[in-house]
Amino acid sequence: MNRRIANVNGWTIGAVLIITLLFVPNLSIVTGIFTPASENWGHIREFMLLNYIKSSLTLVFFTAIFTVAIGLSLAWLIAQYDFPLRNFMKWSLILPLSIPPFIGAYTYHGILNYTGIIQKTLRNHFDVSVNQAYFDIMNVPGAIFIYTIFLYPYVYMITRIFLSNQAASLVESARTLGKGPMEIFLKVIVPISRISVIGGVSLVILEVLNDYGVVKYFGIQTFSTAIFQTWFGLGDLDSSIKLAACLMGLVIFILVFEWVLRGGKKYSFSTTKLRPLPLVKLTGKKAALATAYTLVIFTIAFLIPVLQLLDWVILTFGKVPMEEVLTYTKNSIIVAGTAALLIIFFSLVIGNFSRITKHKFAKVLPKLTVLGYSIPGAVIAVAVVTTFIAIDRYLAPVYQFLGVDSELVLSVSLVMLISAYIIRFFAIGYNSIESGYTKIGTDFRDASRMLGVSSLRTFFKIDIPMMKGAIISGFILTFVDILKEIPLTLILRPFNYDTLATKAFQYASDEKIMEASQASLLIVGVSAIAIFVFNKLLGEGRE
Amino acid sequence: MKKSLMLLLASLLLVLAACGNSTKQSSNAGEKESQKKNEKSEVNLYTSRHYDVDNELYKKFEDETGIKVNVIKGEADELIERVKREGTATKADLFLTADVGRLYRAKEQGLLQAVSSDILSKQVPEKFRDSDDMWVGLTKRARILVYNKDKVKPEELSTYEALTDDKWKGRVLVRSSESVYNQSLLASFIGIDGEEKAKEWAQGIVNNMARSPEGGDRDQAKAIAAGIGDVAIMNTYYLGQMLNSQEPEEVKVAEQLGIFFPNQDTTGTHVNISGAGVVKGSKNADNALKLLEFLTGEEAQFTFAEANYEYPVNQDVEPAELLKSWGEFKEQDIPLTVLGENNAKAIMIFNEVGWK
Repeated sequence: MNRRIANVNGWTIGAVLIITLLFVPNLSIVTGIFTPASENWGHIREFMLLNYIKSSLTLVFFTAIFTVAIGLSLAWLIAQYDFPLRNFMKWSLILPLSIPPFIGAYTYHGILNYTGIIQKTLRNHFDVSVNQAYFDIMNVPGAIFIYTIFLYPYVYMITRIFLSNQAASLVESARTLGKGPMEIFLKVIVPISRISVIGGVSLVILEVLNDYGVVKYFGIQTFSTAIFQTWFGLGDLDSSIKLAACLMGLVIFILVFEWVLRGGKKYSFSTTKLRPLPLVKLTGKKAALATAYTLVIFTIAFLIPVLQLLDWVILTFGKVPMEEVLTYTKNSIIVAGTAALLIIFFSLVIGNFSRITKHKFAKVLPKLTVLGYSIPGAVIAVAVVTTFIAIDRYLAPVYQFLGVDSELVLSVSLVMLISAYIIRFFAIGYNSIESGYTKIGTDFRDASRMLGVSSLRTFFKIDIPMMKGAIISGFILTFVDILKEIPLTLILRPFNYDTLATKAFQYASDEKIMEASQASLLIVGVSAIAIFVFNKLLGEGRE
Repeated sequence: MKKSLMLLLASLLLVLAACGNSTKQSSNAGEKESQKKNEKSEVNLYTSRHYDVDNELYKKFEDETGIKVNVIKGEADELIERVKREGTATKADLFLTADVGRLYRAKEQGLLQAVSSDILSKQVPEKFRDSDDMWVGLTKRARILVYNKDKVKPEELSTYEALTDDKWKGRVLVRSSESVYNQSLLASFIGIDGEEKAKEWAQGIVNNMARSPEGGDRDQAKAIAAGIGDVAIMNTYYLGQMLNSQEPEEVKVAEQLGIFFPNQDTTGTHVNISGAGVVKGSKNADNALKLLEFLTGEEAQFTFAEANYEYPVNQDVEPAELLKSWGEFKEQDIPLTVLGENNAKAIMIFNEVGWK
């Protein structure tokens, strides 16, 4: 009995420590709710909030519906059926995630606008002038389109991994009982994949809520517009943090809602055999339809924007400085890789704590860590800078002792940037790890512990191997996300430190999308390689 | 069990320590090295200007003076916040941005210090320097009108104000109020005509908009070519970029446009500047001043003008051929500080009249 308490405490201490570290910088935002309203608050409430919230909710609602529809249907097709190009599509359908939505927005506008390839060709070669209204993407439906095609992979990836590992016995039973595919989809697939779909779509929702790049360019006023308009325009950072705190409140509500939705539903392995679902081979028309559907999504969400970027790279070749591209690429990979690894490591500790501790508090506490994902990066940046400067002040005697002739050490190093990434993107990694833990349950662990194997050994020998899929997918998602991150990287990097994302932003923010294409394409390339490699790892792990 | 726990914690600490250490050491090493070489061998820049031409100029400055230029690029307001929080410990020496409103903000928050030199006074006209010497201008941009040559005769255009006339209903193109260029334009009107008149103007433009604001300055020009509207408000700088674009279609669009400098017979065309100020806690203020002198010097000013289509502030330097071909023009005659003072008011007016 004592042994058990001792080891629960071990994971508890580790988890509580990490959660505290992740949460402290957010505190300054949370307390923003309680700062007294400034003289601007009346104006903000009257002229900004209501409309802005309305358009934010519209964006969130429709993007959520479309990403679920596309993500779940793709996951189901790939997990259950075999059709031409399936193996290629299986990993390629994740690729749109590698395109930063704001770059995607610029690119699609670049394709569709008056000087874009379509109108240009129609005008110059066929002498056709089109109705501009049909080609205008810079509006709410356009933004929903952009978010949907570049964010659906969250739902697809998490759900597909769940379905191919998990659903085998249930689907087979249903098949044996003579149920048709539609019935299996509605009665089996939809209910059992609910948890992973909700997990995926909540990432989509958070991403849409805090995005600023797309809506700013399109001229759509959303909640994050209000935050930045208040800060940059009115010069009132306090009010803008207050707004961010409200957003955080909304996110807490969503999280609690999700938690309630999940209820006590748990589907963990009931057998020791981790076998994938045997694929049903599609033929004829059905196979053609399946291939066509996946191909259309892939083309719209990845192929078209990438080809356009490629075209621009060629067009601007020699005009954009090339010499330091390798350095940027290396920088990008190193910071994103380090941060993603740390996130996964921390997630494993917290997830395990949450799983083996029966107390309610252990289920709710980890939720706090995902708050960072809900707030616009620039606001987190302020919180992180404040925290690190405080740490530097606190450590000043140490620096002096070491003979460092500077008051700021940590806050001008990569440590600050990497910490900020961890705070911001923890949700992404944790979400995967948590669903991994949910999936394997505690039975195997309990058995191992019963046989007298230590907690840590069990963790490495039993849990980690079973969690391989979740770990890998968590790593890819965080890595790819950090690779394209902008506001934190921009403001928190050390002197003379550029990444691919900062380079792409530098041009794009100045309406030079063609010049931005080189760095953008490299982001896509690095992400694609990562997704490909890890997909290979994942595939071999299962066979 | 304690053992396993300790092991886990130890490994966690190790990772943290390793991560912390490596970067700490490297930055230490960097600092010591530079201190050994020469106390005054670097200058640290926080800038919201991120043009390739700026980097070229920094490199040139390094070659000429041996002073290393270190750069962090970010959004102006975020950089201001960072300097503010770093306080006297800050490593920043020079704050550089593409809007005078932000320079004003940095000054108001006590983040800048006064610097002056004969060279600066000679190179930069008084109008483009802060009255307390807290910042100096580097380049200028004018916010002008462009129009569809087929549908609009230049005689029909006169002032920004005239665009609120009913005859322009459904024909005016302009980007969203989130653009700092629009904010400073309206701020200048508040300074010249007062808040009420400025609000009337903003309301009048909203009434005459060809479409709800979307896209950047370039997109307004394209919308004229596409026939969505007939006259657009945009920056000279973007027009220069379009005329020299790698995409032939963009050049074609820009060439179709007529260019008009408004308010020539009245208050003058709106002008905003890029500028820089020396940070209060600066450890290399001398070097920062040297860099300012370099950037406002003839060579750098020429480069700004040629490569980036900005108007030089140094009057000994001619604008680029393209800009010269548009002719000389009368600028708004107000202290630039006015743009900063009225920025927040401008935002509120935009919100009140529903200029998205």
